[in-house]
Amino acid sequence: MPEALADRRRRAAFFLALPSLVVFIGIGFVPLALVAIWSLWSFDPDTYWIKSVWSLASYAALLKSGRADVLLQTAGLAALTATASTLLAVPAATVIGLLSGRRRATLLLALFTIPFFTSGLVRAFAWRLVLGREGIINNVLMSLGVVDTPVEWLLFSDFAVVLGMVAAHLPLAIIPIVLAFARIDSSVIRASQDLGAGFWTMFSSIVLPLIMPGVLAGFLFVFVVAIGTSMEIQLLGGAGASSIAIMINDVMRVVNFPLAFAIATVVTILLLVVIIVADRALELSRLFEDRGA
Amino acid sequence: MSRIRPRLTRRQLVRRAALGAGALAVGTLRLPRAAQAANEVNFWASGTLDIGDDGWKIFANDSEVKVNFTDNGNDPGPVVAKLAAGNANDIYDVGGLQGGSEKELAKRGLIAPWDLAQIPNYSSVWEWAKNIPYLTFEGKVYGIPTVVNADSMIALRNRVGNVDSYGVIFDRKLRGKTAMEDAWINSVIFAAIYLKNSENAKISEPGDLAADELGLVMEFLIKHKKDRQFRTFWNGWEQALQLVANQEVWVMTGWEPIVYAARRRGLDCYYAVPKEGYEAWSNNTILLKGAVDRGLSKTAHQLANAFLSGFYGCKLGTLRGYVVPTDNNVAYAAAHASAFDPAAVKQLSEHVKAKLTGKVYWQNTRPANFQLYEEWWQRLRNA
Amino acid sequence: MTLNPIVGDRTSGGRPLFAIITALCLMIMYAPTLYLLLASLNPDEQLGLVAPTRYSLTWYVALLDDHRMFRALEESAVVALATAALATPIGLAAALAYRAMTRMRSIFLLVTLSTVLVPGTIEGLGLSAVLRLVRVSPSWVTVTLGHLLWTLPFATMVSLIGLLAVRPSTIAAARDLGAGPMRAFVDVTLPLIRGSLVSSFVFAFLLSLNEYARAYYLVGRQNTLPLYMFGAMNSGASPTIYAFSGTVLVASFAAVTLIFFRAARRQSGPPGVSVAISKRTEKSN
Repeated sequence: MPEALADRRRRAAFFLALPSLVVFIGIGFVPLALVAIWSLWSFDPDTYWIKSVWSLASYAALLKSGRADVLLQTAGLAALTATASTLLAVPAATVIGLLSGRRRATLLLALFTIPFFTSGLVRAFAWRLVLGREGIINNVLMSLGVVDTPVEWLLFSDFAVVLGMVAAHLPLAIIPIVLAFARIDSSVIRASQDLGAGFWTMFSSIVLPLIMPGVLAGFLFVFVVAIGTSMEIQLLGGAGASSIAIMINDVMRVVNFPLAFAIATVVTILLLVVIIVADRALELSRLFEDRGA
Repeated sequence: MSRIRPRLTRRQLVRRAALGAGALAVGTLRLPRAAQAANEVNFWASGTLDIGDDGWKIFANDSEVKVNFTDNGNDPGPVVAKLAAGNANDIYDVGGLQGGSEKELAKRGLIAPWDLAQIPNYSSVWEWAKNIPYLTFEGKVYGIPTVVNADSMIALRNRVGNVDSYGVIFDRKLRGKTAMEDAWINSVIFAAIYLKNSENAKISEPGDLAADELGLVMEFLIKHKKDRQFRTFWNGWEQALQLVANQEVWVMTGWEPIVYAARRRGLDCYYAVPKEGYEAWSNNTILLKGAVDRGLSKTAHQLANAFLSGFYGCKLGTLRGYVVPTDNNVAYAAAHASAFDPAAVKQLSEHVKAKLTGKVYWQNTRPANFQLYEEWWQRLRNA
Repeated sequence: MTLNPIVGDRTSGGRPLFAIITALCLMIMYAPTLYLLLASLNPDEQLGLVAPTRYSLTWYVALLDDHRMFRALEESAVVALATAALATPIGLAAALAYRAMTRMRSIFLLVTLSTVLVPGTIEGLGLSAVLRLVRVSPSWVTVTLGHLLWTLPFATMVSLIGLLAVRPSTIAAARDLGAGPMRAFVDVTLPLIRGSLVSSFVFAFLLSLNEYARAYYLVGRQNTLPLYMFGAMNSGASPTIYAFSGTVLVASFAAVTLIFFRAARRQSGPPGVSVAISKRTEKSN
């Protein structure tokens, strides 16, 4: 019996996995392979295109002109945004998932989702008007007499970039955590209360571990979106601030396609490695496994 | 077991069903694409070349060419990439972008040469516009100059007074109050023009710097960036205008129409006449190979001809303050005084002509060391 | 039934603290959004705030004539709906597959996640080059394919989280009572993960609606909304784009209020044993 069950399970798993594998192999893998191959070819100065001469020149170019720094800085910025978003998202998601009735939970979720329906570009641009020299915040501060001259570092600074990015990506962190609350059974909460645990004990020893998959997913979502974005950095960052996406665009402007593809390949591989390492080190995939029957 | 979302389910279900039904209806309506009419052209160009839906309607009446305008984002990088590796040649017929890439697109057979015999109005194009080097390749004309201008600086009079030198951008007294465009294509030329003419640097061609000259100019810019001289760099129209209109920045290099727009909003703003000279640029119309393959060559030539026949130039001038390099605009305005003010058109035309026949240095997306430019710009970004 | 009544008031300051942080989150998110709403009422051409006496719907009226934006919006809506409609079931299937697998599951998850790690511009360019080779002409279909690559990993992870609420013991109980695998799935699993399925759909929809880099290379002749916005911001936007954001906000708020008041009257208990509990705690809610 157990073998037949395992067989059935394996077959079910295969068929269930088929659609996403078809998507990946069909439209995901081939472009990646093409990009990787092109990154190993050379720039042809005659046609300003690519010639099929194998070379690692593009990868070597990655180590010059501070390009590697851009990769690290963007990753650092994305990690900072993801951390800040997650730290803010956990309390917010707790309010929605643990401390609210159905009505308020729905309302809050809706409130957090609605800004996403407007254009991210326009929202990021609006931050310039909120944080600028003649923006709202400076106007309020000056009229209250807190400062004499407008605060300069509110805009075109790292502060503005992180603020803009967190504002743009917060729902990505909140919603997975809220969903994770669905697995918390009321009996567990009640049991902890019966045993005399206070709120904070219950929160740290019961709630947090159970919602960890949501926290992790939220962090991953924000990180992945933040590392590929360029809007907030371009609109709110200092003079000529860079990111991976901006660098790729710059390189494409000078038709150095092999280099652009090399950057993309390196980024993809590095991120895969980071995920694999994090998975092994923190046993992350266990978080998503079946709970014991 | 907690159930947080059932209410949301109903809301989303209702919304989803309505949207789904609507979208399906719409989607199926659009699936079978009608064949393109013989006099219809898909024009894929920078927004600077757009005259709006009502403008294109009148244009179609006058020239019998119906234009479907799509904005290409104005960044030559993705535009060339989409032509070189993507599908631009399959879906668009005529392109319009900053000059400099014509040579490589021609070499790879992505664009076709214009047959000047089919563009009678070409003879009316101002001579020096015809002679812009990157428009021709191997003796054939690949780019028709459609908009030309000479750029300098936008300045707020009440903040910086009357300036006449690019030195103000790098003036320590204006630290944190200046800006430049986030593109080496423009900003390096401006810095080079300044260094050559006001600081006697050994630079021969600001638009085409040798490796050591480039190093000189870029080190200059990097030093000022590290000194926090620039409030920021700007990308695109709306960002630039916002910087000036909100007085975030007091003087910056940029496009002339920003001055007109800022004035309309009541700012005492002017376009500087720098003693070091202007940076000249052109947006040109190119013929995509795909159009020729689809048999649209004749219509495309009609379009190019119509750009130069007068209405387009007048409309563009009114909308943005840009000039099509031909005297046909003035003639058209004179003949249609009810639609366009002939004096204003003439004045704009003379203004641009005067700038461009004076001290100018031409912008070029492909100087000889263009990849080196990008490497240096990357270092500037990291500084 | 929610956990709120059980937690009750015994939170030792947790409630006020978390409430403050939530309010902070909302403030951060709505600062630019509300600014846009107020600024869109400014009849001048420049984006900025004006005194309430000068508020006007000029740009909202002008919005009605902005055919290009509507066409772009339509294109984006079609793409986003198609993307969400595909990503949600495929993501659910992938999540179920993950849970049913044993040794291969890590690799499988990595494979499904990999497409989201590729920088968007390059993925779009690469995919468009490949599609060109197989002679697929660009249209909303090709954009949907690109967006599917972008949103599928999100949908899969959201479904994974949702499935955590489904305990194998519940399924086993249903199977013991005679339900076949499909029955157990439809009657037990699906209701429990309804929330995550809806979230998956909304996630994919919103991610697709805002996606720019991939769409640039995959669009046909009709730009999507983000491409239109980007072009408008680069070359001279009329303030109708701000009126558009304002419209979206107002419409969303109206929709939420409407559904909220209707839903507030409804009572729906969860299936199974907890109905009695929910009725009891609903009174104290």
